[in-house]
This record gives sequence, C-alpha cells and structure tokens, in this order.
Amino acid sequence: MTLAKWKVGIVSCSGEEIPEGTISRVATRLVLEKLRPDETVTICLPLFLAGGEGERTFAKLFPTITVDGCEKRCAEIGTEKYSGKPFATVVVSDVLKKCHNLVLKSRDKLSAEEWKFAEKVAAEIAKKVDEALSRQNEQLRSEKQ
Amino acid sequence: MTERGKIAVVACAGMDKPIGSVTSASVFKVVETLRPQEVELVCIPPLLAGVSTYSELIKNLPVITVDGCAERCATKLVVRSGGKIRGRIFVPDSAKKYNLLPESASHLGPNGEKLAENIAEEIASMVDTLTKET
Repeated sequence: MTLAKWKVGIVSCSGEEIPEGTISRVATRLVLEKLRPDETVTICLPLFLAGGEGERTFAKLFPTITVDGCEKRCAEIGTEKYSGKPFATVVVSDVLKKCHNLVLKSRDKLSAEEWKFAEKVAAEIAKKVDEALSRQNEQLRSEKQ
Repeated sequence: MTERGKIAVVACAGMDKPIGSVTSASVFKVVETLRPQEVELVCIPPLLAGVSTYSELIKNLPVITVDGCAERCATKLVVRSGGKIRGRIFVPDSAKKYNLLPESASHLGPNGEKLAENIAEEIASMVDTLTKET
C-alpha cells in the first residue's frame, strides 16, 4: 500500500452560514480536482463528526489539512478532537484580511473576483499539501536509512 | 418576523460527492433567494460542537433536513441534538424523481443546477406549510 502513503486528507468546513464557507468548499474542490488530484482526498466533515469510522481512521493515519471559513475553526477542532492534530490549517477569514478591498457577498453564486479569491485559497492549500508530502518523504527516507 | 417564527434548515455538506454539492446549492437558493426571511440555515459543525445558539435553534424551531447520501448525517445529527424534524429531503431520491444528475462536485452543470432549483422549490414549499402551522 505504498501509494496510500502519498495521500493528504483535506477537511473543509461545511460553511453554510457565511460566504467564507463557500470559499472553503470551492477552494477544497479546486485542490482535489485540479491542483493536486492524485495527492489528496477529502473527508466529509459532518460524516466525520457524526462518527464515520473510515473518515476518522484515515485522519489518524494520514496527514490532514483543515480548511475553515471562520474563527470557530470547526474543521480544525473536530479533526483534533477525533483523530489528532492536523498537519496544517487554512482559515479563509484570515486569508481574506490580506485582501483589503474584497467583500464576499454570496454563498450561492461566486463573482469573478470571489472565484479568483477561491483560487488564491486553493493555492495556499496546495502549498500545504506539498509541505505535508515533503515531510512524509523525509520520514520515509529516514526510515529506510 | 421573529426568529421564533422561522424554520430551521439543516443540510449535509456533501464534500465527497457531486450530489452533496446539489444539497448545498439548493439550500443556498432557499436562504438567499426564495425564502430569506423565513429560514434559518444551521451549520452542522458548530451544532455538533455544542455552540449553544445553534442547539437552541434546533430545539426551538421546526426543522427541515436535507441529506445528500445514505449516511443521512443531517437527519442523524438533528435527532442527536434533540431537534424536531418536520420535513426531510433525500437528494438521491430527488435526482431519481427528476432524472437529473450534476456533472461534478465543483461544476453542477445545467442538469445539476436544475435539480438544485427543483429541490429548493420543494424546500420552500415545505417552509410555507410549516410557517402556516407555527
């Protein structure tokens, strides 16, 4: 099962309440489908929190990156509670603070500007994925030596 | 309208399946366009984390659940939180009923959008019925 060692689990908040949640979901999907399709899987947060054993076991064994829409950090807190500390956390509202002129408006239809922002968040997640894989490679190399 | 007269809608996040994206899209249409004043969309993770405002909403308002897969997380979690479910939508059944499927999780496509619109109309209709009863 060498192949499985290269996967990183991305846990996104469900983000129904605020536009930042939609950005979390869209950015996560961009990573899964376009940026790092072979290196990542997603973990459904409600199922994970509801007691999904497969999800919890995966998150215990493989590195995870949590993507939260707001400061409640539900994905990060839930992952840490049931499976262990995530490798990294991306909080959309924090990334948004760096984009001074951008105001997110809709949870349903993203504007071109909002899409661009989602791509920016996705790039941050992809960077963390690369860091997680790099760390795994280092561990594998040290185990072989 | 007071919060008390509202209807709570709880939907699964459905991150790992295209049909889950339909779930989210349909509830967003209800809360942003069709019935923005009548609906309180309740986020599942803080509800599970025990944030009191969310659990109070679930306990005090009639609830409609929208599930994207057979795990039926939204329904299970509302029951676990002591909520009163007054309406349920199971999106895979709706997909069969309307014979519509989304293209992918990130791009619903015309059929997925149409499916989300149909489900949103069904939720809005449930909201209207429940609002009259409260």
